[in-house]
Amino acid sequence: MSSAISRSLRLRSIYSSITAQWRLNNLSFHGLPENSRHFPSDFCIDDRYRKTPAFAAINFKFLCTTATGNATNQSNTNATATGTSASGWSEGDSGNSNDGKSSGGPHGKPVRSGPVSWMSFFLLFCTGAGLVYYYDREKKRHIEGIDSASNAVKQGPSVGKAAIGGPFNLIDHNGKAVTDNNFVGKWNMIYFGFTHCPDICPDELQKLAAAIDRIKEKSGMEVVPVFISVDPERDTVEQVREYVKEFHPKLIGLTGSPDEIKKAARAYRVYYMKTEEEGSDYLVDHSIVMYLMDPNMQFVKFFGKNVDADSLADGVIQEIKQHKMVKA
Amino acid sequence: MALEAYASQSSDSIHTDVLSQARLACYKARDAFYACLEKESNKKPTESAYVGLLYPAECKKTREAYVNQCRPTWVKHFDRQYCAKKRVQRLLDDNESRRGV
Repeated sequence: MSSAISRSLRLRSIYSSITAQWRLNNLSFHGLPENSRHFPSDFCIDDRYRKTPAFAAINFKFLCTTATGNATNQSNTNATATGTSASGWSEGDSGNSNDGKSSGGPHGKPVRSGPVSWMSFFLLFCTGAGLVYYYDREKKRHIEGIDSASNAVKQGPSVGKAAIGGPFNLIDHNGKAVTDNNFVGKWNMIYFGFTHCPDICPDELQKLAAAIDRIKEKSGMEVVPVFISVDPERDTVEQVREYVKEFHPKLIGLTGSPDEIKKAARAYRVYYMKTEEEGSDYLVDHSIVMYLMDPNMQFVKFFGKNVDADSLADGVIQEIKQHKMVKA
Repeated sequence: MALEAYASQSSDSIHTDVLSQARLACYKARDAFYACLEKESNKKPTESAYVGLLYPAECKKTREAYVNQCRPTWVKHFDRQYCAKKRVQRLLDDNESRRGV
């Protein structure tokens, strides 16, 4: 029986040594016989085994434990590098209890179980749990960082503002010459249009007037509506006066010389263009936008044609509140 | 300076036809005309208004009232708007009928 076992062991170790040798080093199969010579030659050496010293020791171990049990310790001390592979070979070998025992331990001590033990499971579990916990904490910290960063950006006005606004030199609807400094100290809503506008400017100005009233009753804040004409040739002071009178008592209408209007429109990035009709009448194509300016005449926010009076009022109140928060 | 120039210009009449009363009258006439168009949409359009808008002879009266009330540029502007709206509606409606073809 022991001969059968030793034969199967031999075959297995032959196969393993061949594959291992081929994997681990590029030396030719026939180039190694010298290495195996320095082992004690009276142990069952077979010149079929062209192998590295370490594997030679393993093979010795397998071969010799079937024959002589006391060679185990010596060969195990030589097999320092291949503890794990040897233990792999011993799997499933039910024939010899010695072999099962002598797998692996780098110090020659027999390890009782295979590579997967309860201890290793426990360690693995601990490592996994530790990693999960650590990364979870990191993620929470990162998310908090993002939250606080986004809040900071919202409140900081110095994080890049649109370059809208600038000095202008115009005449108001009472004939008085005003510059942008006259509007410093109060919040302003500026709308660019012209009096001969068929439907859009009246609608927008009505919306603006309603919003101003709503802001006043909701929050008590004073916002000054301003109308600047982009059609200075037809919009005289009287014309503008009659026009703005109908919308809101606080609405201030501005007009001026075409050059000044051009400068103001450029400062506020407003497009306007006369559409030539036949006859003396024409319409002026212009961008439909309202600018909210803070008490220093700095640009805060713009509102387009799509907002209705309520949204406009709410938007303005929100901007004013945020501005106050930042300044405080 | 500029102030005097504007003061002298004030002797010209203020264009009252763009002030609110005139505007509202214009809007009313305009709406009346377009309502007539909608009502008589099955009739054949024979008369021609501005910018290619056609309307049936039944709406001639409302058309005249409309043109009288509003400035001609405004009439053109509103006609153009109406045509664009009609075109978009036609586009949306047509998509329904062409499905499955």
